[in-house]
Amino acid sequence: MTSKGEQGFAFALAAVFLVVGVVCYAAFPQGTPEEPVRIMFKSTAGKILFDHMMHTDDAGYGIACDDCHHEEQDESSSCSGEDCHGPETDPKRGDALHMNCKGCHEEGGAGPVECAACHIM
Amino acid sequence: MSSQKKLVVAHAPYWHDGSKISTKNYNIMIAALPAVLMGISQYGAPALAVISFSMACAMIWEFIWSLILKKSAPIGDGSAAVTGLLLGMLMPATAPWWLVALGTLIAIIVGKQIFGGIGFNPLNPPLLALATLVISFQGIFDFNESLRNYDLGFVMTYPLADLKAFGPAAIQKFSLGDLFMGRQAGAIGSTFGLGLIVGGLYLMLRGYMRWEISLSFLAGVFVTALLFNLSDPTKYASPAFHLLTGYTLIAAFFILPEDSSSPANFIPMLIFGACAGLMTVLVRNIGAYVDGVPFSILLINLANPLMDKIRPKAIGKVVENA
Repeated sequence: MTSKGEQGFAFALAAVFLVVGVVCYAAFPQGTPEEPVRIMFKSTAGKILFDHMMHTDDAGYGIACDDCHHEEQDESSSCSGEDCHGPETDPKRGDALHMNCKGCHEEGGAGPVECAACHIM
Repeated sequence: MSSQKKLVVAHAPYWHDGSKISTKNYNIMIAALPAVLMGISQYGAPALAVISFSMACAMIWEFIWSLILKKSAPIGDGSAAVTGLLLGMLMPATAPWWLVALGTLIAIIVGKQIFGGIGFNPLNPPLLALATLVISFQGIFDFNESLRNYDLGFVMTYPLADLKAFGPAAIQKFSLGDLFMGRQAGAIGSTFGLGLIVGGLYLMLRGYMRWEISLSFLAGVFVTALLFNLSDPTKYASPAFHLLTGYTLIAAFFILPEDSSSPANFIPMLIFGACAGLMTVLVRNIGAYVDGVPFSILLINLANPLMDKIRPKAIGKVVENA
């Protein structure tokens, strides 16, 4: 059996946590930053975690945007859209990514080139 | 002689330290504070949102349940708040509000109340909720994916996922010191090893938790991981890595020793903890899931009633047909 004091304290605790929880959820929504930190690509051959920041940052590889993004993309455009690397367009998204990633890794002698070194089933 | 039973008692041992259930539960919350505060300091307001909302929701679900069953409201004992806190600690900081609401509903109603409430649950409520959510929403509990927008100044890939996907060569980038001090990606309240150990020691010294289960679990993890590691170091990680990553330490000090779902006798406690440790490493090393804690402990919870049958003989009992 719980006393009235304990019950009152629990109600107060619940109310405080509810307010804090709702306010924090409402005031700090989870969004994608303008420049991604890491990107999780999903394909039929498993997920690939790509460290975007390590590739673009000057302290990392310092690769320029247009080395990978061949044209200026706005928020509405998609890499896999019809104008870019869609199912009817050559090269397809997967091929383009493979060319970019593996090609650069082989050329620079850095980074993984084996399938299972990127793809996580 | 009347065959009517005058007094029915269950088997010993009984353990009473003179304090109330609410005191114990608020002490568990205090013990969890270092690990929770570390999580909040790392992930900021989103982590605070998950923890607070989880505690509030757990208490609200328990209150609603008591209204439906016309019970006197039981949230004063703090048990729902502890369940909510532990579930929040097991979640990533990016967990959406509906996941928290659903998880606490499963923990409180399915995990605890349908069995009769506090003291009757055969499975650990926060862990049952976690296992259900992990199976149902794998993307959210893939910490590499859910924490992809965070850069906290240390290696941000989830250690156990790296081990599973790429083997021990990929985990050399993690130093044991960093893992121990919470400089690793993971759930809000389960990465700060030092904080969890301090919290666990506090609970043990105050008599709120039995050391046998925690220590035998850690020993089970250590010995099993050591045997795997000795058999093939290129394929299996060291025991220290298994102890400091994933849900190992929060399970050892806050999940596994939960009263209702763990044994009460000495030998069964040791077997219970050791088996849970063994199963955890088996799932991690040869199973499908990245972390074995949710499933191994639920499985061992089911064996709990059987284990408690291993009990001391009553003094003076006559053994017939000896």
